[in-house]
Amino acid sequence: MKNDIFPKKIISPDEALVVINYLSDGLIVFNEQKKLSFINLFAQKIFGVDDRVLGIDIEEMVNFSGLKEVFFLLGKEINELNRKELEINKKMILEVSSFPLFKESRKIGYLVILHDVTREKSIEKMKTDFVSLSAHQLRTPLSSINWALDTLLKERLGKLNESQKTLLEQAKESNQRMLALVRDLLDVVKIEEGKYLGKLVPSDFLKIVQDVIKNYQEEIKKKEIKFQLQLTSNKIPKINIDQEKIYSVVQNLIDNALRYSFAGGMIIVSINTDENNLIFSVSDSGIGIPKEDQNNIFNKFFRSSNATRLETEGNGLGLFVSKNIIEAHGGKIWFESEENQGSTFYFTLPLK
Amino acid sequence: MAKKILIIEDEKTLRFLLAQSLIAAGFQVEEAVDGEEGIKKMKENKPDLVLLDLILPTMHGFDVLIKIKKDPFLESVPVMILSNLGQKEEVDKGLELGAVDFLIKAHFSLDEIIEKVKKTLSSY
Repeated sequence: MKNDIFPKKIISPDEALVVINYLSDGLIVFNEQKKLSFINLFAQKIFGVDDRVLGIDIEEMVNFSGLKEVFFLLGKEINELNRKELEINKKMILEVSSFPLFKESRKIGYLVILHDVTREKSIEKMKTDFVSLSAHQLRTPLSSINWALDTLLKERLGKLNESQKTLLEQAKESNQRMLALVRDLLDVVKIEEGKYLGKLVPSDFLKIVQDVIKNYQEEIKKKEIKFQLQLTSNKIPKINIDQEKIYSVVQNLIDNALRYSFAGGMIIVSINTDENNLIFSVSDSGIGIPKEDQNNIFNKFFRSSNATRLETEGNGLGLFVSKNIIEAHGGKIWFESEENQGSTFYFTLPLK
Repeated sequence: MAKKILIIEDEKTLRFLLAQSLIAAGFQVEEAVDGEEGIKKMKENKPDLVLLDLILPTMHGFDVLIKIKKDPFLESVPVMILSNLGQKEEVDKGLELGAVDFLIKAHFSLDEIIEKVKKTLSSY
């Protein structure tokens, strides 16, 4: 049977060793006593060592410049790792995985796999730099347009008639959307750079929510939405957050609820707490999210089909950015939704 | 007497629009296209406040700010950075170098900038 699956001539241990040596991933094996028992050529090249390191104890790795970093990551107990990033000598980035090896349920040692992702990382960085640069470059002409429209609308350069005014107001609104898009693009970049949150300060969450709601009063009235703010706990403790970012999440969720609700609909915003978390939710009686779109709703640039039909504006970044902000705070974000019935979006933020 | 504002900004349109609204708000305005001209004008006719762009042709805005803060005669003039940079590092650096505020052009209307200018001047 075996010969049907494997080549006629099964590879010899010597040949297997050659294959392992020439893999483009680095491999390091430790025996059960945590002594280095094998290091393939690729790994030797990465760290500038040769097979003289064979037999050393894992703790002796600190004596070798590159291996030292691996040791700090693994720890002397050899933690299980799944693609942990490690920078070696400022020029190479590895993804390190490690796990114990078992033979017939007996632990025989540990395998460490080092995957070189330097190139991928540098491409990622180029992309990030490109987006960041173009976003900054876009802002200057956009600010010019914005301020020019401001100046005209203030009638500093002469009186405007009604239709001129309306047209300029529309132009200003489009320009504002463009500025918001650029800001969102920069947010996406920052998320991908992994340095998203600013300073966490103890903040009054209720105040943030009230501030957001205040800014939407006019629209709520215009759309004749029945709007409620429900508080179940009478005192909400201060929580450590990046205020500006959390403000933008609350704003995004309330904005979505309004945008995708019909006139005369209902929106309920609620703030709860349990032992460990603050729970915020926004519930609307709007268009809802079709079943087939529900898995993608937090993806970058995704917009559900019915949302696109109803409201052509929108860049598909709001929920993506929101999710990242909430998760960066150690919270969770999710939703329940039924098409044509409405949606409820929830997020939690840890109290401590 | 009207307070004097110096705008250091290389973009002609932005400079013009800023000057327009500052004048409309009752300020006296001086303009400079780069850091060297800006510092020269500051020395000739000391302003009450400086609006400083960062990406400028000859000298970076941060260097202009350092020069201002090192000059015993100019050091006391409040400087507001008005730029389209705005990453956290840049904001932190600007404030650390002694700017009183860091405004991202794209995020502020002219009226809001005027408000900030008034507020800053009233506390000096």
